Amino acid sequence: MAKYISKRILLAIVSLWIITLITFFAMNAIPGGPFNKEKATDPAVIQQLEARYNLDKPLGEQYRLYMKNLLHGDWGISTKSGRPIWNDMIEKFSVSAGLGLRAAVIAIIFGIILGAIAALNRNKLPDRLIIFFTTLGTAMPSFVLATLLLLVFCLKLGLFPVFSSENPNYTLPVIALAVYPMAYITRLTKTSMLDALNQDYIRTARAKGVSRTKVIFVHALRNALIPVITYVGPMVAYILTGSMVVENIFTIGGLGSTFVTSISTRDYPTIMAVTIFLAMLMVVANLLTDIVYKLVDPRIKLD
Amino acid sequence: MKKKLLAVLLVASMATSIVACGNKGQKPSSSNNGDGNTTVEATKINTDTTTLKVLLGSEPDYLDPTLNSSTDGAALALNSFVGLYTLDENNNCVPALADGEPEISEDGLHYTFKLIESKWSNGEELTANDFVYSWNRAVAPETAADYSYMFAPIATNEDGTLKVEATDDYTLEVELNAPCAYFYDLLAFPTFLPVYQPDVEAANPDGTAPGAWAQNPGFVCNGAFTLSEWKHNESMVYTKNPNFYRADDVSLEKLEFMLSDDDTAIYAAYNNGDLDFVDQKIPSDEIESLKGNPEFHVLDSLGTYYVGFNVNSDIFDGLTPEQAAKMRQALSLLIDRQWIVDTVEPTEKTPADTFIPDGMADGNGGVFEAADAGYYDATTTGAGNVEEAVKLLEDCGYSFTDKGDGTYDISPALEVTYLTNPSTTHEGVAALIQQDWGKVGIQVKVETEDWNVFLEDRKAGKFDIAREGWIADFNDPINMLEMWVSYGGNNDMQLGKNPTPQAPDWTEYDELIQEIYVETDYAKRAELMHKAEDMLMSTYAVVPVYYYNHIYLQKSNVEGVYATTNMNIYFMYAKKTAN
Repeated sequence: MAKYISKRILLAIVSLWIITLITFFAMNAIPGGPFNKEKATDPAVIQQLEARYNLDKPLGEQYRLYMKNLLHGDWGISTKSGRPIWNDMIEKFSVSAGLGLRAAVIAIIFGIILGAIAALNRNKLPDRLIIFFTTLGTAMPSFVLATLLLLVFCLKLGLFPVFSSENPNYTLPVIALAVYPMAYITRLTKTSMLDALNQDYIRTARAKGVSRTKVIFVHALRNALIPVITYVGPMVAYILTGSMVVENIFTIGGLGSTFVTSISTRDYPTIMAVTIFLAMLMVVANLLTDIVYKLVDPRIKLD
Repeated sequence: MKKKLLAVLLVASMATSIVACGNKGQKPSSSNNGDGNTTVEATKINTDTTTLKVLLGSEPDYLDPTLNSSTDGAALALNSFVGLYTLDENNNCVPALADGEPEISEDGLHYTFKLIESKWSNGEELTANDFVYSWNRAVAPETAADYSYMFAPIATNEDGTLKVEATDDYTLEVELNAPCAYFYDLLAFPTFLPVYQPDVEAANPDGTAPGAWAQNPGFVCNGAFTLSEWKHNESMVYTKNPNFYRADDVSLEKLEFMLSDDDTAIYAAYNNGDLDFVDQKIPSDEIESLKGNPEFHVLDSLGTYYVGFNVNSDIFDGLTPEQAAKMRQALSLLIDRQWIVDTVEPTEKTPADTFIPDGMADGNGGVFEAADAGYYDATTTGAGNVEEAVKLLEDCGYSFTDKGDGTYDISPALEVTYLTNPSTTHEGVAALIQQDWGKVGIQVKVETEDWNVFLEDRKAGKFDIAREGWIADFNDPINMLEMWVSYGGNNDMQLGKNPTPQAPDWTEYDELIQEIYVETDYAKRAELMHKAEDMLMSTYAVVPVYYYNHIYLQKSNVEGVYATTNMNIYFMYAKKTAN
């Protein structure tokens, strides 16, 4: 296991390095620049700003300097706001991650429970209801769901404020974030649970007189979870980094909208920092997924 | 049975969604009560009279007034800093920290300001030296302030510093290059606000982060409110500064800003009583229903939306400068401006017949554009001018076949590209112009570019025709005329830049602007500015479409907020009542 993990970490470092390389040269290849403004800026000011951010140097040299600073823990300064990127990124990530984590927990717990209920009540009313709502949950775009939640719970029922600086509304965005993965996990769990319930070892367990609860939770559900885990790993990484649509509708200062804004404003240091950070999260999530696989199913060989 | 149940559930769910979408609760809309009288439903208000909840825009880039270059950032700066002058609710420049009017030398070059005694938010005395420091910092190359050029009227020393001196703690002497008709407007501009030297320098020891001192709550300022809380991309809270020079006139304890540019969320927050004031960001499909509502405000502003022609474009190849101007004139005549303001721009905009907007001062105590002035009748351009446009285009070598339905085929074929950025308004205007020009057989290809690339291509002259707009920084026509000098960074139309044979000779215009800069007789100066506008308009490179205006929503229990024609908003003297 330790050997496997160290191999994966080495591989991750190479992947991250390739990601920095591709991102750096791709973002510089897009037309536009970080200091383009509607009202023209004095060329002397532009020159000063380019020198400040090393943008006056050849591209290869810019990349070398960026990587050197990054390896020293310096994530750079935003060309848009002049703010240090690391502090802002962590602050925004903690907001996104706080919401994302809650949404992920809800999605996983309810997804698995509902999936199991649907599988155990195949073609009965609970199954029909669950499938109906999960179809709705997977089909409805997040901006429609978020707007609908805002309309119903804030404007119609008055249960939450639309905007409050003192008590920001985090309940609705968590629901908006959780619905799609929850619906997806429900469907996945149901399918793989049904598959598991039809296996010979379940029949054997039942024939041996193992209790129904034990058959469901120990034998069927545990095996049914493998495809769910495959989905959950990247899903958690994705959900933790925030969704621009949900953040915009509920006025949440997360990382999702920062990433998109940084691209449209050609804020090169922020694009680099957020990409690397998200890539790191993805790599860690995938690694953890593989380890959890092993824990759930000892037959899986990681090497 | 099960299928039926599923169908019933599906229908019920859809019905719920439709009902939820169709009724947005308390909307600030006007409705007809059947007697022909309009009744207005008031929106929900919040009764916290000590806090004003405001939407200006999304996360500001800089709170340092010297580095800010955005409209929402300017409003934040003006509510947390105060300079020598300020604008009042009637757009007049009035002394703020200046103790009455300054002494001005006979030649109009030397100003002596007396300052009132005032304090920074930390209780330190604010002195004339603070202005000397702040203004010199604004022009220092290492500060790299976008608006550093606003200090151009002030004379400079050999080392590049400004000829500004504090002769004692409360006396500031300023020397100008030439008399400046709009000097007080500049003094009220955010870039001229003072900043607190010890904080600025402490936060920027190596000179690479000039705005760092104003990046976190608690920074020292001298305006009505100080920043006390900042949740990035969510909200900002400003609290009353007891050391503000007019603190007794400030009744609010807090200003809360929602940081968002999502129209739907903003409008929902306003309707829900979570916002008292929304600047500009009103969903365009709601505006029609808001007309006539006392919460909906429309103000004139000093800006013009126009169509810009690249005078060096290939579409004018083989034409003389005069013919190229005629071709542009024909295209200008074909634009149905009234149709555009009626169809695409629902906020009661006025069709434009001049480049300098209506209501702008002339620098000599009057208004620049007389009420009846105008280069054409902007309300009648469009279909009625097709024949005149055809004649002008015939002078440029084109011939036409009348199709008998008021439209023509053009020969040789003419295809032009109209460049714009993604936006319902801009693309809507482009579509209408496409139809207008199509009446004489011109094919218009509308090209939409990402905002950042659009700006770059426009500045570099990589286009034939582009949508343009300009909102004046200060109330003087020079701000909208000096941009067209051949060396100007905002001269997107490329007048005088690497001129091609079809482009007009622009030397005289450059000289004229220099003449305006040094003219000491303000009446003569106004005349020269008219001449410059005439010269610009005679090229038809700049084709005004409409004048900008400023829209906002304000709750019925709020008064005392005022916005100026350059779109600055002052909240400090606002008052809120409980109902």
